[in-house]
Amino acid sequence: MTIIQVFDPALCCSTGVCGVDVDEQLVGFSADVDWAKQNGAQIERFNLAQQPMVFAENSIVKGFLERSGAEALPLILIDGEVALAGRYPNRAELARWTGLIQTEEKSQSDCCKGSRC
Amino acid sequence: MKFLDQPPRFLFFTGKGGVGKTSIACATAIHLADAGRQVLLVSTDPASNVGQVFGIDIGNQITDILPVPGLAALEIDPQAAAQAYRDRIVGPVRGILPEAVVNGIEEQLSGACTTEIAAFDEFTSLLTDSALTAGYDHIVFDTAPTGHTIRLLQLPGAWSGFLEEGKGDASCLGPLAGLEKQREQYKAAVDALANATSTRLILVARAQQATLREVARTHEELAAVGFQHQYLIINGILPRTEEDNDPLVAAIHKREQAALAAIPEVLKTLPCDEVMLKSFNLVGLDALRQLLVDTAMQEHLRVDLPIELDEPRLFELIDTLAKDGHGLVMLMGKGGVGKTTLAAAVAVALAQRGLPVHLTTSDPAAHLTETLNGALDNLTVSRIDPVAEIEHYREHVLKTKGAKLDAQGRALLEEDLRSPCTEEIAVFQAFSRIIREAGKKFVVMDTAPTGHTLLLLDATGAYHREITRQMGDSGQHYTTPMMQLQDIKQTKVLIVTLAETTPVLEAASLQADLQRAGIEPWAWIINASVAAAVSTSPLLRQRAINELREINAVAKLHAQRYAVVPMLKEEPIGVSRLLELTGDNKINSEC
Repeated sequence: MTIIQVFDPALCCSTGVCGVDVDEQLVGFSADVDWAKQNGAQIERFNLAQQPMVFAENSIVKGFLERSGAEALPLILIDGEVALAGRYPNRAELARWTGLIQTEEKSQSDCCKGSRC
Repeated sequence: MKFLDQPPRFLFFTGKGGVGKTSIACATAIHLADAGRQVLLVSTDPASNVGQVFGIDIGNQITDILPVPGLAALEIDPQAAAQAYRDRIVGPVRGILPEAVVNGIEEQLSGACTTEIAAFDEFTSLLTDSALTAGYDHIVFDTAPTGHTIRLLQLPGAWSGFLEEGKGDASCLGPLAGLEKQREQYKAAVDALANATSTRLILVARAQQATLREVARTHEELAAVGFQHQYLIINGILPRTEEDNDPLVAAIHKREQAALAAIPEVLKTLPCDEVMLKSFNLVGLDALRQLLVDTAMQEHLRVDLPIELDEPRLFELIDTLAKDGHGLVMLMGKGGVGKTTLAAAVAVALAQRGLPVHLTTSDPAAHLTETLNGALDNLTVSRIDPVAEIEHYREHVLKTKGAKLDAQGRALLEEDLRSPCTEEIAVFQAFSRIIREAGKKFVVMDTAPTGHTLLLLDATGAYHREITRQMGDSGQHYTTPMMQLQDIKQTKVLIVTLAETTPVLEAASLQADLQRAGIEPWAWIINASVAAAVSTSPLLRQRAINELREINAVAKLHAQRYAVVPMLKEEPIGVSRLLELTGDNKINSEC
């Protein structure tokens, strides 16, 4: 069973809503994680502002923070190896990593809808 | 007093700083102890003067108040509680993770949410830990948890997700993540709060329209989370004494009575008590025992010589501001201190000097700013309705970013969008559209985000992106908004307060918050000062004397420069009355 670990930046909340700006990526990603979990995927999320010890105890994550700083988060590990950094995976990527079949229609890409690119 | 009738075990007093919560809570505790009960008085006011009132050092240990048999007290400092919480989280990684990362975490945990939850954490042990409080018949709190905090704790959806995962994946449970072991305790505490036989919530207000409006909101918020049975106290009402022919007293009395007559509909059904303004300072047992007793004003008052206040006036600050010819002027302070009025006064006075001014306010009633539109050729006024702005922002987020969520996800998102930081952002975004005009003219604002929010905005780049988008592809060179706010040449922050203990302390903590973000407030304005007004009333004289200590604290401890604005007889509406506030057309202050 593949384990996906997501190391979030320091968030007030992982939905990214109650901070200073609603992060669409986060809202979408939370929903995608929810979907993947319901389909049996193993995904763990760690918030830098709440569980910094988890970041400090993982040598890969700690090294990443030392090199690139918290601005470079999120960092996604698959079975302990770096899979992605600096952005959240989309539903298709989650499905591929965990071997899930994505039955839903592919959602439109979020890029350039609205204000942020 | 209705609120003292068959009091339950827990009494919570709530209301904004400076309305007299602590005095009333102390008086209530003494009253109950005098009746032979065992009473614990709990203060969570950072400006707690409970110790001062009883002449005893209290602190965060339950301390017996020996002069009052049966009374013990405890002072909780919410800031210290929040700091302890931060230390629990950040302590173990200090020196292990890069310093910049650690600082970022600390900043994230420096907001209102963390303080709220940390304070609630302190409440819960007192509400649920029977070993701690078994010996007491009554526990009197001088603060109540906010509706926002309680709502967070009531989110069953969030909690269940939170528990199954064992990590805060659900919602804005941010600060709760470190507290999951207390979950059962929270549930018990929330149940105890909503139980009318064990808990009474008392809203404390002053007879002022803005304050009563705010209390109405608090009432609805707390009713929505289960506090069905609330009481209301209107504190510090000016008695109409016959022998008093002082025009200022008459004017204040008239204004207070008008505010009471126009009390919001939702408050009318609450059991309501009125507490008259006392001339004596509410320190010491004798004074507090008299607070809740309706004695006619019989006591002999010292009629002092008129106070000759020689303090800087607002027009002097404005003269200095005017030299720049343009710039951003932000008025900051707690609700109810008169930011909107003073923003209007500053704008009018600058326009009067022939300078181009754009006043942008969140004046809820609009009656103040309406009168200004078109009053002066070089003054533009725009109004931002915070309620509409927040609603608009929520709807927009739900429609765009919440579009793909299921019902539970949407419910959580909606809850998240009720957080205090969201409100600050929604309003500030509306304001930020106007900020860039400050390079060419004066822009005067009556709302600004706290230093904490600015730091987070800057860190996430959200604010920067927001502005970048507004600049469009103009390709012109610009500095980041944070740089603009930190540059005293471009931005002047004016902190507004009242000459009373709690408001001054609140303003000082606001200033510290801004300094953390590298923003140095340019000046302080002490508003609605009785000492700066002219009055022969012994009662107001006494109050004026009490104000001098606070004015002195601002001058000596807090402000680089400051001004004192007198309390006016009439509501400052229209150009000429607003100018009167600045003290420019000197009125002869000798009686």
